[in-house]
Amino acid sequence: MYSYILHRLGMMALTLFAIITLTFFLMHAVPGGPFVSERMLSPEIAAALNAKYGLDLPIWQQYLNYLVRILSFDLGPSFKYPGVSINSMISAGLPVTLQTGLLAVICVVALGVPLGVIAALNRNRWPDTTVMFIATLGVAIPSYVIATISIYVFALRLGWVPTFGLDDWRGYFLPVFALSGFWISFVSRLTRSSLLETLDQDYMTTARAKGLRKGQILFKHGLRNSLLPVVTVLGPVVANLITGSFVIEQIFALPGIGRQFVLSITNRDYTAIMGITIFYAAVLMVMILIVDLLYVWLDPRIKLTKAAA
Amino acid sequence: MTDISPEMWAKLPAQDKATPVPPPAPTYGQEVRRRLWANKPAVVSIVFIVLLVIAAFFGPYLSPHTYYKQDLKLANIPPVFETYAVTDGAGETTRFFLNASNFNLYEVDAEGNMLGLLRGGRKDIIKKSQPYEFGDQTLTLDYSKLPARLILEDGREVRPSGWSWNMTYLFGTDQLGRDILVRQLYGAQISLTVAFVATLVNFFIGVFYGGIAGYMGGKVDAVMMRFVEIISTIPLTLYVVLLMVVFDSGLLSIIIAIGSVFWVDMARIVRGQILSLKSQDYVAAARTMGASPARILTRHLLPNSIGPIIVTLTMLIPSAIFIESFMSFIGLGVTPPLASWGSLTSEAVETLRAYPHQLFFPAAAISLTMFAFNFLGDGLRDALDPRLSR
Repeated sequence: MYSYILHRLGMMALTLFAIITLTFFLMHAVPGGPFVSERMLSPEIAAALNAKYGLDLPIWQQYLNYLVRILSFDLGPSFKYPGVSINSMISAGLPVTLQTGLLAVICVVALGVPLGVIAALNRNRWPDTTVMFIATLGVAIPSYVIATISIYVFALRLGWVPTFGLDDWRGYFLPVFALSGFWISFVSRLTRSSLLETLDQDYMTTARAKGLRKGQILFKHGLRNSLLPVVTVLGPVVANLITGSFVIEQIFALPGIGRQFVLSITNRDYTAIMGITIFYAAVLMVMILIVDLLYVWLDPRIKLTKAAA
Repeated sequence: MTDISPEMWAKLPAQDKATPVPPPAPTYGQEVRRRLWANKPAVVSIVFIVLLVIAAFFGPYLSPHTYYKQDLKLANIPPVFETYAVTDGAGETTRFFLNASNFNLYEVDAEGNMLGLLRGGRKDIIKKSQPYEFGDQTLTLDYSKLPARLILEDGREVRPSGWSWNMTYLFGTDQLGRDILVRQLYGAQISLTVAFVATLVNFFIGVFYGGIAGYMGGKVDAVMMRFVEIISTIPLTLYVVLLMVVFDSGLLSIIIAIGSVFWVDMARIVRGQILSLKSQDYVAAARTMGASPARILTRHLLPNSIGPIIVTLTMLIPSAIFIESFMSFIGLGVTPPLASWGSLTSEAVETLRAYPHQLFFPAAAISLTMFAFNFLGDGLRDALDPRLSR
């Protein structure tokens, strides 16, 4: 167990190092320096700016400096907003992103799994076809389309919820719905097919033959075994919620990290792009590790060895 | 009992004694085709995709409009409108409709063709009204209270005579007065081109990479797959974003960005297939006969793993369409005046409150296309590998 976690942590460090290196050199491959797009600077000012941000050093030295800074959890200053550090940008946006993201994950689990169970237990009857129809819609329609159409219908036409912002508790509905729509559909489809497969197993027949109560059969034997694939997608769910948040936070004007990221892209704020990417990568890797450990805890058949990783 | 007629004694003609030969077993290809054709949603999807491709690549030539020509006088025209008619003293009838969001009157003919913007008199900004002259008649547009009303001199209110479809701009125009239908078709062209080309690039890289990793096995495989693992730790969309920041936004760069990132799934699938196939007897046979690894890979292993490859390919197309529109939506995709479904949607969001029709068309187009490719992918998976179907 401990050697597995150690091994995984080592892999994470390696991956993070690769991502830092990649983003660093990608951002330095951008033609022109970070100050080129602004109004013409006199050579002295440009030189002073470059010296201030250490851009006059040879590139390997800049790279080493950057690595050392990141080791002390400092993502550096923003190039576009003087005096603002990337750390403060992230910590300002994090609560918003975390709130909506967490609510979305809760929605995915709390709606996706029951819907899938209902569909599987009523196979080929109307609850099944209805759920599967909605799930097919949800998988095919892009999140930004769901977001914009739901703004039009629920905020502009019906006026039930505000069009943007989180000042009102009702403001959470649409962003969370748009963020989680795809994954609710996905998880309900997955739960359905996985539960259908489990229901065919011999041990389910045994459980029925033993005369166990229906609820016990479903929850203890059926669901516990069929939820394993659902747990595996939770890692990708988190990953997708992060990328989904770029667009959703943009559309609903939520001051989260995703919006900050898109803003940094449009402003060509290279240090911010780099810093937020690295932050995302780190968060994701921790999430995936947690999901993997959860998986082992749920399924005792899986042994934690280096080979399994 | 004795009266057997003489012809009963006649010899019967020799009969074919051979047992009926069963028809040849359908080949794998025939089976696949039969199963695919039996799948209604998949067939409808194929038809839809073919029609979409034809419309996207040939449709723009049939239209009198271009995707870039702006006409600010005819901006934000809706695709359907209620026509009004006013007859002046000389018996001349003028038909027009009211754009309820910008309070302009546009002249139309009886068929619904746009004739142009009607020029009114001085706007009274305080009373929120504007006079329009029709021969000797004067019509006042009063928008002090919504909905806006059209009042004649004698105080009568002009009522609309019925709905009519905009025959000049079938889908209406956008906020710069460009025809939405043509932009939509160009958008489809861009989205489909990006999707197909990027998928093809992914296909080649993925098959090559996965094939080598799977065939070589051992250390090479471990290193190559570790690399894939590192890449896919963070969402692939993030790489596309980073690459698009480095390149200038544009058609070619988005193809390169998507094409150079999404091969990892394909590589995984191909590697898994090859790993399971390479211990088969026919591979050993080919090797003993002295076939080169390249030949074994391209002639024996890849053709036998074509099913999962095709399924992955069809599933890559909608995700490429999605990523492209996503990039264009956040402003990293194609540059204006070029259109793609993503940029059309994001432009429409700006005018969502007043002109929701501008959102409807690109949103419907991309959703339907995603549907079609998803259904086709499901259908192909069921057809190519019936064991997987559920």
